[in-house]
Amino acid sequence: MAKTKRKGKRQRLSSSYRRLVRRADRVLEENDVDLRPDNWQQVVLDWLEPAGPDQDTLAAFMAAHETELGLPWAREMLRLEVFFQADDYEQIIAHYERGLSRYPRCGLVELWAADNVFRRAGDYWRARGMYCFAMEQMPDHPKPYYEVGFMHYLLGDFPGALDWFNQAADRVEADDAMLGSVIYYNRALVRYVVEGDRKAALADIREALRRRPDYAQAKVARQALRRGELRWIP
Amino acid sequence: MTDESIYVEVKAYWSPTRASAERITQMQLEFSLNHYPPKGGDSIAEIAWSTGSVEQAMAELPSFVPEQVREICRSLLQPWPEGRYTEAYGRCGGILNLYTPPWGEPEDEAWAAMLAGWQQARFADEQSRQEALQALEQRWNHTPHPFWAGLTPAQVLVGGGRREAELAEEFLARLKETYDGHGFSSDGDALQQTLLLLRGWQVQPRGDGLTPQEIILAERDELLARRTRALQQAGRADP
Repeated sequence: MAKTKRKGKRQRLSSSYRRLVRRADRVLEENDVDLRPDNWQQVVLDWLEPAGPDQDTLAAFMAAHETELGLPWAREMLRLEVFFQADDYEQIIAHYERGLSRYPRCGLVELWAADNVFRRAGDYWRARGMYCFAMEQMPDHPKPYYEVGFMHYLLGDFPGALDWFNQAADRVEADDAMLGSVIYYNRALVRYVVEGDRKAALADIREALRRRPDYAQAKVARQALRRGELRWIP
Repeated sequence: MTDESIYVEVKAYWSPTRASAERITQMQLEFSLNHYPPKGGDSIAEIAWSTGSVEQAMAELPSFVPEQVREICRSLLQPWPEGRYTEAYGRCGGILNLYTPPWGEPEDEAWAAMLAGWQQARFADEQSRQEALQALEQRWNHTPHPFWAGLTPAQVLVGGGRREAELAEEFLARLKETYDGHGFSSDGDALQQTLLLLRGWQVQPRGDGLTPQEIILAERDELLARRTRALQQAGRADP
């Protein structure tokens, strides 16, 4: 009986996945997406619009694996983008597993999917492997280091979190406002707990606010640190 | 009718995941097994350690304790292994680890790294190789582990005590007050918010200047010392 129930649930999930893939295809049609052997790489870049150096990373990945990827992979990537735009994390994870797992792993795609596996599905151990893969593929990218640092913080490993945040801070660009500010903000708090170094923590908070002057949590943390109180509001 | 009154309190907790809800029972049983009378006397766990008899310790449990709970107690009271404390993987790790998604040896990067170092090292003979492995296992047992919120496997295996029980109640009440009935965008979001609350709470100094984390670690060390004493008094080895 239990077996039939499980099978029933699997079938429902499978049918829901296929239905959403069809819906994504309709979205692509409505947007006149025209994937061809001579343009699929550019269409993927245009649709996904990866920021800054990520654009070069994705372009290099497609060039390196051109023969293994091609039109079918490009279509799966565009579907993935539709699911990202719909903010449907369950479908993002399902599509990462079912649509993309047969192709070479791309560090950038792992990074995007891992955020959903980690923060929304709460599957920390799986996400950890994906972030580590992203680090191997993109050793200069600050985000996987930051995410693993945040994971260590959530696991209660504050010294480990500090190590990872240090590595993220070493890699983040000086003009990266969003990621840079959260890296410095979190490093400040962990640094204060692990090392008790209020000056260093305040310097990190100042750096977070330099990058994002309207960062409300950093302002609160700055006041608390100045008063010598630890008010942890991540 | 005995001269001891029986007090049963039923409490409801809010929990972000099924796994953490299931661990609450184990955590509270660990607290109960480590409870010793303040004016002297042994805890149920100490009876098991000093006598080497799980059944003798189990006899101390009140008669109304259901069989299902007895089974959990029996498994918690099992003698510790001489080598690596792998049983710690199956323990809840107390309030500091209650919400950590379940993990085990496959995820244990710390042990994998230690083992890789041993495998690459050269030894004069097989005996020294095996001795090095045994030493490594003991080192793992007593090294703070990143995935156990800095507790050592020995600290995980010994369980929590009276002060951790009070702190756990305090945190669980705060968690319920903060998040019960709160809408979360996903299971992962509920888990993350819970962990953020926990990690903030555990490092806030209290009236005596100590943080919950410091109190919990110190108490688990005390319990480990009581265990060593119990084993020594009984003339039993502490592996």
